Amino acid sequence: MSNQSSVEIQTEWDIVAARQLGRNVAKELGFGTVDQARITTAISELARNIYLYAGQGKIEIQRLTENGINGILIIAADNGPGIPDVRKVMEDGFSTSGGLGAGLPGVKRLMDDFKIETTLGEGTDIRATKWLR
Amino acid sequence: MNKQMARYIQENMTEIISNWQEMMKNEKSERSFEVMPAELMDQTSREFAELMTSNLLESHQAYESRLNDFAEKVVRYGWSITFVTKAINHFGEIVFNGMERDGIITNENLRGFTEEFNKWITPIRDSTIDTYSKTWERTVSLQKIALQELSASLIPVFDKVSVMPLVGTIDTERARLIMENLLEGVVKHRAEVILLDITGVPVVDTMVAHHIIQAADAVRLVGAKCMLVGIRPEIAQTIVTLGINLNEFTTTSTLQRGVEQALAWTNRKIVEVDEE
Amino acid sequence: MNVRIPILKLRDTLIVSIQWELDDQTAIQFQEDLLTKLHETSARGVVIDLTSIDFIDSFIAKVLGDVISMSSLMGARVVITGIQPAVAITLIELGIRLEDVMTALDLENGLDKLQLELEA
Repeated sequence: MSNQSSVEIQTEWDIVAARQLGRNVAKELGFGTVDQARITTAISELARNIYLYAGQGKIEIQRLTENGINGILIIAADNGPGIPDVRKVMEDGFSTSGGLGAGLPGVKRLMDDFKIETTLGEGTDIRATKWLR
Repeated sequence: MNKQMARYIQENMTEIISNWQEMMKNEKSERSFEVMPAELMDQTSREFAELMTSNLLESHQAYESRLNDFAEKVVRYGWSITFVTKAINHFGEIVFNGMERDGIITNENLRGFTEEFNKWITPIRDSTIDTYSKTWERTVSLQKIALQELSASLIPVFDKVSVMPLVGTIDTERARLIMENLLEGVVKHRAEVILLDITGVPVVDTMVAHHIIQAADAVRLVGAKCMLVGIRPEIAQTIVTLGINLNEFTTTSTLQRGVEQALAWTNRKIVEVDEE
Repeated sequence: MNVRIPILKLRDTLIVSIQWELDDQTAIQFQEDLLTKLHETSARGVVIDLTSIDFIDSFIAKVLGDVISMSSLMGARVVITGIQPAVAITLIELGIRLEDVMTALDLENGLDKLQLELEA
C-alpha cells in the first residue's frame, strides 16, 4: 500500500513547500516530534540539493507499510548533471556549495534507509525511508 | 499402524511415563528436571505424553493449541531446546522399544513402523522447536521493552541540577532513547547542569564514547552543561588506551564530587550548619 | 512574500525572537538587518530566541553560524536560546555542532548569561 504526493522543485519557495508537505505526512503517520524534525530536515537538505545542483527536480513523499510497520519514503529525483564521485559526497565534511558540508551523510544519519542512484549527465535519484517504531 | 501406536501408548501410559522420567533424570546437563517438585513433574510429564499422542489421535487444531501451551510452559520452566528435543526422542524410543518387546513390532513390519515413527516424531520435533523459538522471541522482545522502560530517566536533584544514571550496555537504539529522554528532561526540569553517571555502564568503547559526546553536544545546544561522572579506574584506562578524546568534558570519578562541581557552576555550595 | 524578523533593542542588547519557519530569503534578510542594527546601535550583545522553531537544516544553521561570527567581528556576543530537543538532536545527527556558540534554555536565562559575560 502506498499513498503519494509530490512537490516540483524550481524555486527556493518550493523547498519550503516540500518540507511542509513532509512534515504534515509525518505528523499524520504518528511520528514523534524528534522524528518529525528529522524527516523535515532531511527533505529540506534533499530539496536544496536539487535547487542548488540540478536547477529543478521533484520531491515525492510516499506512505509505506511493510510487515505491518508504517513508514515514510522521500524520493528526491532530478535530471541534473549527476554526481561524479558518490563516495566522496558521502564523506563527512565534503561540500561543493560552501555550506557546512552536512549534506548527504547527514541525511543518511537522520533516516533509517538511504539509497542513491546517479548517472552522469542524466540525473540523480535518492530514496530515504524512516520507519515508525 | 497409527491406531496401534496410539492404543499402545494409552494402555501403557504410566509405565512409559515412569521410564521416560528415569531417562530424563539421567540427562546430567539439565538441572531443571531434578529440582522440579514431584507433583509438578508428573503433571508436566502427563501433559507431554498427551501432546505426543495428540497428533496421532486428535485434529490438527487441537494438537496446535496443545503444542503452544506446552512450549510456553517449557520456556517458563527454563528447559533448554536440547532438553526438549531429547525428551521427544526418548519418548519415541521408549514407545518403540516397548512395542517391539510386546511383539507388536516384528521383523516383518519393522520397515513400515520405522517410517510411521518418523512421520510421528519429526513433525512434533519441528513444530515444538518452531513454537519454542517463537515463544522465545516474544519473551526477548518483551524483555527489550522492559529494558527500555527501565533505562534512562533524568532525575532532578537540586534546582537547576539533574542526574541521569546510565545502566547497562549502550547500543545505537538505546543511545537515541537516552538522548531524547535527556533533552526532554533538560527542558522540562529547566536543568542547567546534567550529570551523566556511567558507573553502571560496563564497557566504554569508541562507539559508546561517541554517543556520550553527541548527547553532551546536544545538551549544550539546548542551553545546559553536561558533566560525566562515575568514571571507574578501568574505564579511565580504556578511554585513554583507545585514544578517545574527552578533553572538552568535565569529568569526575564520583557522583558526589560531580554534584559539588555542579553547584559551584551554578554559584552555590553546601555548607554545614552549626547546631545551637 | 517578504516577511522581516523584528529586532528589538533593550539597553545595550538586541533581542530577536524568530516566530515562524525560516525560508532562505528571510534568513538572509535577517542577517543583513541584524548587522545593520548592530552598527546603528552599537549594542554589545544579541539574544536570538528559537523556541518556536521546530527544525533547522544545514542552510539555516550556516546563516546562524555566520551571523554569530559576523556579530563577534563587530564586537557583540550572541546567545542562542530555546533550541528545542528535536532540533538539537537533528543538528547533531546532521553533523552540525555549532561550536563556541553560547546557548541558554530560554530568553530570560540567555539575558542573564549575556549580562555575566559582558560584565566579565
